[in-house]
Amino acid sequence: MDMVKAYGNFIKKSAENPKTAQKLINLGLAIAYHWLSRRHDKKMPKSFKYLNRICIKFMHQPLKNPNNSAWVNLFAPAEILHAMDIYPLFIEAFASFLCGFECEDEYIDRAERAGIAETLCSYHKAFLGAGITGLLPKPKFAVTTSMICDANIGTFRHLTDMYDIPCYVIDIPNYYSPDAEEYVVDQLKEMVCIIEDIMGRKLDEARLKKVLMTENQTRTFLKKYMDSLEYKYFPTTLTMEMFMLFASHTFMGRQETYRFYQMLYREIDSYPQKQVKRIFWIHLLPYYQTTLKKYFNLNDKYQILGCDLNFDFLDNMDYNNPYKALAEKMIKNQYNGEYQRRIEGITKIIKKLKPDGVINFCHWGCKQSSGGVILLRKAIKDMGIPFLSLDGDGIDKRNSHDGQIKTRLEAFLEILDG
Amino acid sequence: MGDVMVGYVCKYTPIHIIESFGEKVHKIDPLPANFDNADCCTHNNMCSYVKAVLEECLAGKIQRIVLMNCCDSVRRLYDVLKLQPTIEFLYMLDLPRKADEKGCIMLAKELNAFIKEYEKFSGINFNKERFVELLHEQRNSRQYAKAGVNIGIMGARCESSITEIIQNAGANIVFNLACNGDNVIETNGFNGEDIIYQYAKTLLNQYPCMRMADTTKRYAVLKKDIEKSISGLIFHTVKFCDMYSFDYTKIKENLSLPVLKLETDYSLQSEGQIRTRIEAFIEALKTKKPPRLTSNSAYVCGIDSGSLSTNVVILDGQRNILAYSIVPTGAKTVDSATEAFENALARANLTRSDISYIVSTGYGRIGIPFSDKRVTEITCHGRGAHFLNNSVRTIIDIGGQDSKIIRINNKGDVVDFVMNDKCSAGTGRFLEVMAKTLGLSLEDMSKEAANSKEELTITSMCTVFAESEVISLIAKNKDKADIIKGLNKSIAGRTLSLLERIGRKKHYMMTGGVAKNSGVVQALEEKIGEKIFVPEEPQIIGALGAALIALENIKS
Repeated sequence: MDMVKAYGNFIKKSAENPKTAQKLINLGLAIAYHWLSRRHDKKMPKSFKYLNRICIKFMHQPLKNPNNSAWVNLFAPAEILHAMDIYPLFIEAFASFLCGFECEDEYIDRAERAGIAETLCSYHKAFLGAGITGLLPKPKFAVTTSMICDANIGTFRHLTDMYDIPCYVIDIPNYYSPDAEEYVVDQLKEMVCIIEDIMGRKLDEARLKKVLMTENQTRTFLKKYMDSLEYKYFPTTLTMEMFMLFASHTFMGRQETYRFYQMLYREIDSYPQKQVKRIFWIHLLPYYQTTLKKYFNLNDKYQILGCDLNFDFLDNMDYNNPYKALAEKMIKNQYNGEYQRRIEGITKIIKKLKPDGVINFCHWGCKQSSGGVILLRKAIKDMGIPFLSLDGDGIDKRNSHDGQIKTRLEAFLEILDG
Repeated sequence: MGDVMVGYVCKYTPIHIIESFGEKVHKIDPLPANFDNADCCTHNNMCSYVKAVLEECLAGKIQRIVLMNCCDSVRRLYDVLKLQPTIEFLYMLDLPRKADEKGCIMLAKELNAFIKEYEKFSGINFNKERFVELLHEQRNSRQYAKAGVNIGIMGARCESSITEIIQNAGANIVFNLACNGDNVIETNGFNGEDIIYQYAKTLLNQYPCMRMADTTKRYAVLKKDIEKSISGLIFHTVKFCDMYSFDYTKIKENLSLPVLKLETDYSLQSEGQIRTRIEAFIEALKTKKPPRLTSNSAYVCGIDSGSLSTNVVILDGQRNILAYSIVPTGAKTVDSATEAFENALARANLTRSDISYIVSTGYGRIGIPFSDKRVTEITCHGRGAHFLNNSVRTIIDIGGQDSKIIRINNKGDVVDFVMNDKCSAGTGRFLEVMAKTLGLSLEDMSKEAANSKEELTITSMCTVFAESEVISLIAKNKDKADIIKGLNKSIAGRTLSLLERIGRKKHYMMTGGVAKNSGVVQALEEKIGEKIFVPEEPQIIGALGAALIALENIKS
């Protein structure tokens, strides 16, 4: 652990020398890919070991090849980029890696010093800090959606102005209707034309269809995995649940992701049924947090059943109409629109997975999720399931108070064990 | 209908449509005493304005409300309000973020859907003729720059109490382009079948708010129109509304005028501090050259009534400090001021009648009836610091409940300043609480950091959280000296980020009670990498500046 801290300190000290800091990040990712990702606990399922490796690869590719890369947010339709062989840099994940590299505080502070509100989401602040100091290599363009999280448009606009690169904002209406779908389809088509101009190559629609077909097949494995999760014990870690966001979102449609979910659903079958306390997690997981790691990482007594964000869209996509399918996927995402839709989506999954308890994590700066926490609490309590809401931060360690988390979590687990 | 008003929050709201149903509209501008009820229905880290609206709704003051899909906080406000039985009509329109043709078509459809819904609720049919009439009415008379100080307002929604303070301080508000500002749209000449589409197009093409996809228009008008009409801009942000911090950095780059950044939490609690900042800003804009002194026989006095101490300085006509006194501020401002004044008079061997002019400053300046003039402590600190050391360009003032960074020019005029927001983190009060927790006097605490051997980091900036962090460090048997050094570093870090907001410029002077704490000064010097000049008596700089202003006044 101390080695990582020392490495993080090197990055922090190089914040004024972006070229050196970039080299350090690339070096860290290379080491993590070739060495660290192989050194897992024996308890760690093989599919997760594979997930770990592909996530590092997904992060490293756009950084190594900035001229063939684009910044995207979690909900952006990266399928179009996969079909054009463009590497997406998934910005929230980059911020999360800075936390893993023990240097997120430096970049968050840099953003705040540049005038960015301290109440902004820390993922965005860390990414902004990285951009402001020049830690990020210049990509060709950026794509963000307006849906679910307000921070995206501000962050993308700020940094793409600074880097002088084009930024396409896809405006997603709050509710689904044929008109809303058409509004999004038109934007996607306009965006593709712009990307084609920037990259000097055409999008092959047949490739896009193929990406969506792969995505459908991948999602079939995901659903089968969920079926097994209803009764199987499958050890996981906070980090793996977060890594799964790469697979369930930005890198859906890629072959590596297909392979991961295939491995996952096959592997879970070989695991036993076991009497453990099963906890369903809502929203982000602070994967660095000491107490939570102690209780949930590969634990025999408590198991995280999954994180709601990884199950936010489970429908089949009409790959013959790829633009329509992508528009529909975004508008119908269970987090878009009214909070009640999200409650319905979450309660549906909870009814299926039957957890013993539900933990919701209020991430610092995330108004869209925190704002509904009282409504969520009521819905889960009405189902007769114990509910705990924790306040903290997905990446900024200074905003998660271990003492508070520990007391609340242990009391909650005592209730479950009671 | 017609008796109950329809509340709204956003400048994109189709108020003409609502009014054409015969309803009165009301821009919700709440100022609750606290958020006790709102915090029970949502998370306390939501946008303060949204919590204030929720507080009003929960108190039963608003029964009908039309929202736009503005931001994450408003969306959650809608979700929470949906379950409130006291709300009889609630509607949220989906406002597109793009003002192109497709966006306008989307909004027109939204407007038609809203009309249907309101017809259903009210039992009244939409009156198109009335709508056209309303569109042709001139409603917002445009403001023009007048003689004196002209101010513009931009940023996130800005409560009316702020505009009142600005006007009371003697400035003229030329425009209010904050996100709940004047709904300045040109609707004259609308007619025909597609009138709803035209209306949608006009709404979407007004001065864009920060949620819109394209905000270039915000900055395009800065150079063209705005700079010519005002002498300073007040940029307002709301606690937990992040969108406008992006805007602020850009406005600062694009505007060559002084900008005051204010952050409020939409509650009554911070009004005193806000008043000080606005008044100081307007005073700085009014700054005139100090008149030449012709009389040498006058005695003047400056009184700085701070939150923790009241300080008095007496000067003679040649700017010599004859006496000063520092007393703790008690429950009554006027009593402490009188006591400090009498002490100083005794030391200077003078009586009240010898004093020709008194300027009061500080938090309690309004409460001193015997002062001739009131000036904010920001202007006074600028004057006082410049008098003591004319190479100083940056003043770091950390007092009892405020910390400020003041930038002055080579004449001692304030050119820019920033202040901490409503929170005691990194101020004298913070140190006082920590000293109490550690069982030390402030003086011992100041010396103790020098004995530190181990590097400790106090991560919490908030006084309350830091206190519990210190208690846990004590529980771990950590050395007091190390804890104090950690606290000093925490204050220095907080101050540095405040400093970065106006940029670094040497030389530095530190004033206020905290400047007496050598540990904090040292931690700050390490962070900034520059030597900091600490005057012999750092607590009297405000009072000294006030006395200097008093001298200028008797001759002007």
